[in-house]
Amino acid sequence: MIRYSIATIFLLLAAFVLQQFMPAFTGLYDSRILLVQLVFLCCAVTVSQPTMLLLAFIGGFFWDAQCALGPHGGDPEVYTHPVESMRFGYSILLFGGMGFLMQGIQPLFKQGKWQFSAILSGIAVFLYLTAEYTMINFVRGDIVVNRPTLLQMAFTALLTMLFSPLIFWLLFNVANTCDHSINPQAVKKRKRAPR
Amino acid sequence: MKPLNLIALLLFLAGAVWALTRSDRSVREIQTAYFSAISPFLKSGSKLETRAHAFLKETRHSKELETELEATKQQLGRLRIIESRFRALEHENRQLRQALDFKKATQFDVVAARVIRRNPTTWWQTVEIDAGSNRGIGTQLSVLSNDGLVGKIDRLDASGERSTVLLLTDEKCQVSARVEGSPEVGILSGQRGGFDGTPVLRLKFLSPNAAARPGQRVFSTGRGGVFQANVLLGTIDSVEQGALDSEALVRPSVNFANLGAVFVVLSSDS
Repeated sequence: MIRYSIATIFLLLAAFVLQQFMPAFTGLYDSRILLVQLVFLCCAVTVSQPTMLLLAFIGGFFWDAQCALGPHGGDPEVYTHPVESMRFGYSILLFGGMGFLMQGIQPLFKQGKWQFSAILSGIAVFLYLTAEYTMINFVRGDIVVNRPTLLQMAFTALLTMLFSPLIFWLLFNVANTCDHSINPQAVKKRKRAPR
Repeated sequence: MKPLNLIALLLFLAGAVWALTRSDRSVREIQTAYFSAISPFLKSGSKLETRAHAFLKETRHSKELETELEATKQQLGRLRIIESRFRALEHENRQLRQALDFKKATQFDVVAARVIRRNPTTWWQTVEIDAGSNRGIGTQLSVLSNDGLVGKIDRLDASGERSTVLLLTDEKCQVSARVEGSPEVGILSGQRGGFDGTPVLRLKFLSPNAAARPGQRVFSTGRGGVFQANVLLGTIDSVEQGALDSEALVRPSVNFANLGAVFVVLSSDS
């Protein structure tokens, strides 16, 4: 269990490195594969709540370190209406929220129905992007919703979701290596089934 | 709720509050540490992207290249005529300068750089360039291309070899701007959610009956301490008149989709 939890932390950190190699698809409204969020979501459904919260903290903290913009820097007498940025650390709460969402269907995952978790990971990414965009709108004081933004979020969620079976396959292998079962009920059922 | 889960939740919330209350300076320190840790991976990542970009360029359809070649030949002929005229004007200008003891009004000290990564984040319009603090670059310096203003330096890499440019198309990049041939002055910035490949900028805080019309060019004023004066920003597409102020939609002069080489302005004597 502990070995598996540590392995998920290393997987999340590896996702940060791999994310650097994943450019935006300009033909698909700048959508992208959010590997960090995907690895976190897939891990969240396989670990206990304290480990999920630790992963959420690490994921959100490093994600903000990667994406946060600096202050405007111009003369405040000229730039009287500076555009606000999101506060560093907001992603930690978003990651936490997504993690709780994924843990909601942990019973199904433990029964071996990982497909539901794969679909939910896509929905969770869409909700994550919607929440993030809503927060940006809220902080900047006006609501701008347009078709390209919605399509960008939808394509990003879809592209990310397509990779979830691969991540689950990886997690099953990591769990096997660590002598840990991430879907114990399914394993018991399989053992009980007549040959 | 189990006691262990409750303790974990409380620790998580305490950690989140700690992160949310970091000052700009400590956020920059955290970012510097983060980027120096992943620097070796970033280097190979940007190399890969540059190679992929070059490969895609090479594999463009031959017919497209033929058409381009034909157009380039025509352009070359036209430019030769312009060049001969330019030489004559240059000669004349030199003579006049000598006569008036003219001092150059504006001189930029620039560093040339290549774009090595595009749009590394989800919501912000940024690119990474292959020049950093090693070549004298600092934050808040303006970045230009042959066609006009590209943006400004937002973050420097710890290795000193790279830096991040916040593009003019981002909502957070604000530039004090003026409309050519009119007294109109406003603040130009990008628009949120402009991901359909044709970015349009918004020139805000113009006077209610702004004397601005489509086709007029927009230049930086040089006020505000970040951008130099008289740098081309774009051309007005349309003007929306309001009760308190007017806004103009501006098409940027720079083609951000095909950004290759840029110049970071280190200093200017304007």
